[in-house]
Amino acid sequence: MVKQEKEFVNRPDNTAFTQQRLPAWQPMLSAGIIIPGFVLIGLAFIGIGVALFVTSQSIQVLEVDYTGVEQSSPCFKCSDPDVKNCVCKMEFNIDSLFKGPVFFYYGLSNYFQNYRGYGVSKDPNQLSGDLDSFKVPSDSCAPYEYVGKTPIVPCGSVANSMFNDSFKLYQIVSGAKIQVTLDGKGIAWWTDYNVKYRNPSVTPLKNAFNGTVKPTFWSKPAYELDPTDPANNGFINQDFLVWMRRAALPNFRKLYRRITEGDYAKGLPAGNYSLEIAYNYPVLSFDGRKKNEFLGIAYLVIGSMCVVMSIVMLIVYAKFKFPEEE
Amino acid sequence: MAMEIFESGLSWEVRANSRHYHKHKQKKSFLCFHWGRYADNVVHSYKYSPLTFLPLTLFEQFQRVANLYFLLMLVMQCIPAISSVPWYITIIPLVTVLSVRGLKDLVNDMARRRSDFEVNSRPCDILVSQSFDSAQWKDLCVGDVLRIHKDQVIPADLLLLCSSEPHSLCYVETADIDGETNLKYRQALSATHTQLTSQPSDETLAAFDGLLLCEEPNNSLYTFRGELHWQGECHPLDHAHVLLRGTVLRNTAFAYGVAIYTGADTKILRNSGKQRVKTTQVEKVFNRVVIGIVLSVLLVALLHAILSGVFSSQVMGNADISSTVVVNANPVYTGFLTFWSYIILLSPAMPIALYISFELIHTVHSQFIGWDMEMYWQPAGRPAQARNTSLNEELGQVGYLLSDKTGTLTQNRLVLRQCCIAGEIYGDASVRAEDVEPMDLSWNPFSCGGLHMSAPSLVEKLRGQQCPPSRQFLTALSLCHTVVTEWKEEALFYQSASPDEETLVGAARELGWVFLSRARDFISVSELGVTRQYQLLALLDFTSKRRRMSVLVREPEGGLKLYCKGADIVILERLHKDLQYQERTERALELFSQACLRTLCVAVRSVPEASWEQWRKTLAQSAAMATCDRDALLEKLYDQMERELQLLGVTAIEDRLQEGVPETIALLQQAGLKVWVLTGDKKETAVNIGYSCKLLDPDTRLLEWQELRQILQAPDPGVSFFKARQMELWAVDKKMAGAKTAVVLTGPELAEFDQRPEWGSTFMSLAEHCQSVLCCRVTPGQKADIVKLVRKHTSSVTMAIGDGANDVNMIKTAHVGVGMAGVEGGQAVQNADFALSQFRFLQRLLLIHGRWSYRRISLFLRYFLFKTCGFALVHIWFGFFNGFSALSMYETWFIALYTVLYSSFPVMCLGFFEKDVSAESSLSWPELYKSGQRQELSSPLILALSLLYAVYSSLVLFFIPFGVFYDTALDYQTMAFTVAMAATFTATIEIMLLTRNWTKINIAAVCVSVVLFFIGTGITHSTVLFKKAPADYIFIGVLAKAFVDPVVWLTALLTAWTAVLPSFTAHAVNITLTVHDKQKVHSISPQPVELKSTFRRGTSLRRSPNALF
Repeated sequence: MVKQEKEFVNRPDNTAFTQQRLPAWQPMLSAGIIIPGFVLIGLAFIGIGVALFVTSQSIQVLEVDYTGVEQSSPCFKCSDPDVKNCVCKMEFNIDSLFKGPVFFYYGLSNYFQNYRGYGVSKDPNQLSGDLDSFKVPSDSCAPYEYVGKTPIVPCGSVANSMFNDSFKLYQIVSGAKIQVTLDGKGIAWWTDYNVKYRNPSVTPLKNAFNGTVKPTFWSKPAYELDPTDPANNGFINQDFLVWMRRAALPNFRKLYRRITEGDYAKGLPAGNYSLEIAYNYPVLSFDGRKKNEFLGIAYLVIGSMCVVMSIVMLIVYAKFKFPEEE
Repeated sequence: MAMEIFESGLSWEVRANSRHYHKHKQKKSFLCFHWGRYADNVVHSYKYSPLTFLPLTLFEQFQRVANLYFLLMLVMQCIPAISSVPWYITIIPLVTVLSVRGLKDLVNDMARRRSDFEVNSRPCDILVSQSFDSAQWKDLCVGDVLRIHKDQVIPADLLLLCSSEPHSLCYVETADIDGETNLKYRQALSATHTQLTSQPSDETLAAFDGLLLCEEPNNSLYTFRGELHWQGECHPLDHAHVLLRGTVLRNTAFAYGVAIYTGADTKILRNSGKQRVKTTQVEKVFNRVVIGIVLSVLLVALLHAILSGVFSSQVMGNADISSTVVVNANPVYTGFLTFWSYIILLSPAMPIALYISFELIHTVHSQFIGWDMEMYWQPAGRPAQARNTSLNEELGQVGYLLSDKTGTLTQNRLVLRQCCIAGEIYGDASVRAEDVEPMDLSWNPFSCGGLHMSAPSLVEKLRGQQCPPSRQFLTALSLCHTVVTEWKEEALFYQSASPDEETLVGAARELGWVFLSRARDFISVSELGVTRQYQLLALLDFTSKRRRMSVLVREPEGGLKLYCKGADIVILERLHKDLQYQERTERALELFSQACLRTLCVAVRSVPEASWEQWRKTLAQSAAMATCDRDALLEKLYDQMERELQLLGVTAIEDRLQEGVPETIALLQQAGLKVWVLTGDKKETAVNIGYSCKLLDPDTRLLEWQELRQILQAPDPGVSFFKARQMELWAVDKKMAGAKTAVVLTGPELAEFDQRPEWGSTFMSLAEHCQSVLCCRVTPGQKADIVKLVRKHTSSVTMAIGDGANDVNMIKTAHVGVGMAGVEGGQAVQNADFALSQFRFLQRLLLIHGRWSYRRISLFLRYFLFKTCGFALVHIWFGFFNGFSALSMYETWFIALYTVLYSSFPVMCLGFFEKDVSAESSLSWPELYKSGQRQELSSPLILALSLLYAVYSSLVLFFIPFGVFYDTALDYQTMAFTVAMAATFTATIEIMLLTRNWTKINIAAVCVSVVLFFIGTGITHSTVLFKKAPADYIFIGVLAKAFVDPVVWLTALLTAWTAVLPSFTAHAVNITLTVHDKQKVHSISPQPVELKSTFRRGTSLRRSPNALF
């Protein structure tokens, strides 16, 4: 018995793994599966494409360019950076009902919010309510760190450049202006105003900002951003949060308000409207405005490509197959 | 005196018994300084000591461009101004790679250290002041006098002083040097013999104070020049006086010698070549690609740096708020920083994780080789072994197999299979030797088995006292030889300088004619139990020129007989005119050589007393003559005696091939390999083996040196080669004008290649058209030179296989070296990359393991290149839309985890388990192997295509999400997640397309990767981690938000699908087109390769493969 055991000394294990005989599935793909498969995938993509395209067509978009580059524009006078507290009005007309909820965006173009140096120019500790960072902001905020020797809160480039135009929308019904209620809540991410950004736990909030200055570009300090709602101030102000969530590309939009309450919750009826703009943000150059139909079209293109390719393959297949049968 | 030394070139001075003198001049080294003259006898092949391990291993590892590159990245990431990705993203993989590699090297080095220790501490007897002390090999010093016992391995190159045998003869076995197991004899100088053995004592040896002047240490095994100056006389020395390190003393009780060369100076070590680090072809190509990637990355970084400078200066010019985006004022400085940032950001394009995965896959493949049951050799309990674990894919690309003969192709066992006596053929060669039914030889007390010939009728005739020719035939076998006997434990053993003789004498013993002993003048033989004494009158010895040997004996009855045996051509022309059996014997010869048996003719002559007397006188006269004419005269004299012979019969010996050798060679040749044989053996033996292992066909034309030389010297060698070949073959067989030629070369002829380097390429282009090349009588150094020749002039991968120390050099030189784990020695295995127990295991090693490894590793590399580049190059395109600011397209954690967790498991499984056809099919269709030889899966073109594909997919990965996100309210983090998801999907779909063999593990790996992506992303996006380190986990909440956004999903899906579309289409087109091709292949060769057992008898071209010895 002992001898027998010895005979198999060093003998490798006879398992499926060591002998490389693991049971395996080797899909035997043939043209009969591949070509219909290709057609199916193509058709599915076309289907999605059509659905997306129809959806994007049904979305009603109205854009108002208030840059004021052209002299005829009512906002032309405001486009001069030296003019302060300028207010201009843009009148427009809606032909048919805009179904609600209606979203109100502002858009910027050629604005590189995704510039790396710009993006790092903030102090995450300060923004999560750390009072030590109020006194000594992180170096990453430079050059928007101090004014003289007083620290800037919130410091850094991103905060400093916050978009500060404000809008009021009126419907003009037989000469009278009826203000459309704009809802400034729920435009930022839940995690942003509950976890990511925190105000220091000091009441009143104003006291926390003692010994600091507001960013140079700002007209109001952080704790006074929303005079209507004290809870919507400081670092958890939703307009601030929307701005701080950086855009992916140089042309972008940001959600400004939603129209969810009051008479206009169901949508904007057809009629004349007036947009009153408090023009503060010194931006020039604006181009490109359109509905985003890209995804739908891309699906259609790729889907059709698949179908075309499967047809080509079918032809090639037939050419190769039939001579052999002869 | 000094002048003389320089003129003769004998500058190596050895003083016997003066240890002090030599110790003083021993070679020493410190760091890189060396001094001293004589090497010590210590072998050390290990590299590391505890102190030097860390610096050396780091030095070695940072010679890998990839490791150095990543170290640089790491340093740069620590600089905040340019750190686009945090430092911990790089250090984890780098440290893992370094430590795994270092550990592996350390383990290997420990093994070397152990084997060195074992060799260095072998015992030997050294003469130290009047008496022999037991010491170890490492203590030996030049000039020491040594005593070697029987069966001891000789520790250094020695000058033989004297031995226990008469005339101070001694026998050595040189298996470890030239692979031959037969004994060779060495003889001491008569001067030392007489002086030192008159009073054999330790004192006389201790008093020996000869001065040896020899040539400098060199690697020539068969030559030696030197002089011994002793007692005022000068004795010339040659290689017959020298015992070489590595040989074994046999049949000699003990021998004394002076160490001339020790350690690294010895001939065997001089022959062993340098240890090289072997890199595979695939790795070389891949390294070039990696360098290409690095250069492109540098170029792109430079471009982006310039553009970034331009951008920042432009933006600064803007009057409005958007100018505040760019913080730094100086465009040049910005560009400078951006350059380094981009280098860091694009560094994942050069995959460091690849090297660690690569090594892991290699290790597993090596394990698979060791685990293969069908490469396990049960009799020795030895599995195959991959000693070098980084050459696996090379096994799938071998173009040239250079094989040793003895012990590799053959078992080194000779067996008498047939004989023909008086026209009658006994034995049957068509039965395999093992299957021969053993005869009942119980009547013979001396029989000890081992006769693989069944001829009961012959035994009957012998025992029945019939048929005198057969009795005489056996008498001849038992008398005509140079075998010596030895009694060991009551049993009779034969030792011989020629394995053939040993076999024949052994066979005669089995049949009742037992050679008992040899004295100076007598040979005693027991003939069927009757002991008879033959007086030995003369021994006409064998030379390669004569190709025969004879003995002249006086029978106990008084008659004089000359027994002669030799090659058929030589014997047949010396026969008596009227022959009874000539026709039948010639037919038998033809039959034997058809069966690839070595034949010898045996003949007898009755010598009249008068002619003997006269011959003896002449012989005595000529023996006394001066040296130069003597040989010619003796030969003439011998020739006079070996005349008018009477043919007794023919013996047919089989040089036993290892199991399955012909089949293996046939299969490998079908797989497109060129099989060459390099052997230290004689030409005839090698050619004979060439025929019997089907390396040469019976009608193969042998191209020998004379002709080859003419071809090589011809102005247009190619043309003249074809001409020569066709002219001759035309007459024989039109169809055979193909590749039916084989080149036969010998060592000295090969030496001419050294002087004519331009012949190399011509020879190789010629050899490419030949069936095979046989090189005989080559030294280990020459074996390596042949390998170098092949390596230099072809791009093929070479593989050398051998079993002895003589093959070590060749094994080291070849791309892949295989050692046969034989019964003894093991030197070859020590130095080999792979160790096998049987030649036939090469089939599996190459056609199955090699092919699979090559396929797996090629696919692995291509895929890895695709997935890392496709993923990293996105940053280039993103750069155009973020002001060339080196903003990462991904979350930094994704960059770190993508290569390690999200995309590595499926590709590892591909590397482990992928197979396109089963093991059985790989052997059935050896042609499939050719794709590896042609580098079809790993050519630079293929890799370049993979790169192009990666660039395409990176474009898709960026621009489809770009189109979707452009001018929308979706933010940067959402886009980063979308692109990351698309990249993961792309990598997963691509591996699914590549995998053909889906085991459960593959399926699990694919699923796990995707799940891990979501889990991993979920974790890094979680609130918990954010609260711990707000600065490191800024992507908080992105997954939750993006998960419910159909736009993100639809974008990722479309992007991934578009990215793999080319690959998918290529697969589909491939399937549509090649289904028929495969069916064709299958229908062409419906059955596995089968060796035809009947092979056509060749024409007169076939040479008789007979040889004595």
